[in-house]
Amino acid sequence: MSSTWAVCKREFKAYFLTPIGYVVVGLIAIIAGMSFSISFITHADITQNPSLYSYTAVPDFEETFLSPYLVFCGTLIMFLTPLITMRLLAEERNRGTIEFLLTQPLRDREIIFGKFLAALGMLGTMLLVVVVNLFIMGYFVRVEPPVLIFGLLTVFLMGASCISLGLFVSSVTKTQIMSGTVTFGVTLILFILGNLGEDMPEANPAPEGWPGTLRSVIGIFYTLARGLIVELPVDAHAREMALGIVQPVDIAYYVLFSAFFIFLTFRALESRNWRG
Amino acid sequence: MIAVEGLTKYYGPIAAVEDLSFQVDQGEIVGFLGPNGAGKSTTMRILTAFAPATRGEARIAGFEVHQDPLEVKRRIGYLPERVPLYEEMVVTSFLRYVAELKGVPRAQRTTEVGEALERCGLSHMANRLIANLSKGYKQRVGLAQALIGSPPVLILDEPTVGLDPAQIVEIRQMIKGLRDKHTVLISTHILPEVAMLCERAIIINQGRIVAEDKMENLTKGGGGESLEEIFMRVVSSDRADTATVKKGATA
Repeated sequence: MSSTWAVCKREFKAYFLTPIGYVVVGLIAIIAGMSFSISFITHADITQNPSLYSYTAVPDFEETFLSPYLVFCGTLIMFLTPLITMRLLAEERNRGTIEFLLTQPLRDREIIFGKFLAALGMLGTMLLVVVVNLFIMGYFVRVEPPVLIFGLLTVFLMGASCISLGLFVSSVTKTQIMSGTVTFGVTLILFILGNLGEDMPEANPAPEGWPGTLRSVIGIFYTLARGLIVELPVDAHAREMALGIVQPVDIAYYVLFSAFFIFLTFRALESRNWRG
Repeated sequence: MIAVEGLTKYYGPIAAVEDLSFQVDQGEIVGFLGPNGAGKSTTMRILTAFAPATRGEARIAGFEVHQDPLEVKRRIGYLPERVPLYEEMVVTSFLRYVAELKGVPRAQRTTEVGEALERCGLSHMANRLIANLSKGYKQRVGLAQALIGSPPVLILDEPTVGLDPAQIVEIRQMIKGLRDKHTVLISTHILPEVAMLCERAIIINQGRIVAEDKMENLTKGGGGESLEEIFMRVVSSDRADTATVKKGATA
């Protein structure tokens, strides 16, 4: 346990001993801050004169501002996590410090969870920056606490899932650049597919005239593929949850997503014991 | 303290180490000699439970490296060939981190780190960024790192590489001082160093042991040959036989 903490501490400090921590926090402060100001002011305009924006009444604050904003922050963090995770294990391998780390009296889980926790610490730091914006908002508006709490939880879970993905990629790559690029690529592809998938019709795409068995086989595969494309992206489960509508399936998705990639990271690190 | 039995390591079809067997007793300083690519670093990596062996077993203080890697790692201090350092850290904070990983109790960490700094002549560099140190000083930090927690077994892969002559003398003195308290296995290809430091030498070539004996026996047995002459003889005769077969084996 204390070794996990030691690894975590060193890793977290390293973010701020190198420029990367400042870059990430700076980026999130600028982007989340700007979008906050712009959409907050827009929302204020709408409440002043709803009919001008083709609303019949003053729109619900949580629904039109708070939860979309939090989902936006989550997506932003999702695309910034490669910067956090790329160095975790790839850098150790590149510098040769992996030889140092793996010959210390450490269990694999102490290394992996230490690094995972450090990345979660960075995620926490990024969330703190977002929370500063929310404090300003709290000064003007009263919000429903569940929306706020579950909104922030959503952002955290999104970030944690991406971190576990990034940690795994980092464990199988040799350089930071490779690790960061692959993580970013996978995240981006999932994100784009997810957005496109929402336009896919639910009905079976096979033409009516085709034989029944073929149609049903195509139907099964199509439903499966569509389900994966729509449900797999990290941001797919965020929207409802950020509104305070919490379903066990969404939480389970994030937990399983993280657990799966942490499991793979363990296997990747262990592979040194049987690979030539 | 170190017992190796039939150790074999293949990288694909290439044998880096073949059927290696030797022993190092407690308190001994043993030199591990061989030309580049002889399998010295590979053996050391197996001994420190960093890389798996293809066959055979290695025990450190009675613990098999593959079965009890954690117990083995608790008992060794290892200086790899490529000195692994977190360049963004300051020397002391790096050493404190090592102390923490090695499970040195909190109260003793400061003295432990201070001692390691002192022994490796790093006290005046304690607050420097590792990235800004010269090669020789980085090498010393690597050495200090291995000494932290005073592990009973020290495995040092070319500890004097990159040091200036004065530093080499200092580090040798320091290693000599480790005798009795620690068991030390040093790999090197600087022969006079072995003659000065070690009680016993193991010479390997092409992954096999070609000579192993106490220093005085090695030099006496060959009819007054120097270590250099012995080294050249065993290495070149072996090279002629097997060079074509195992060419390209990496260290």
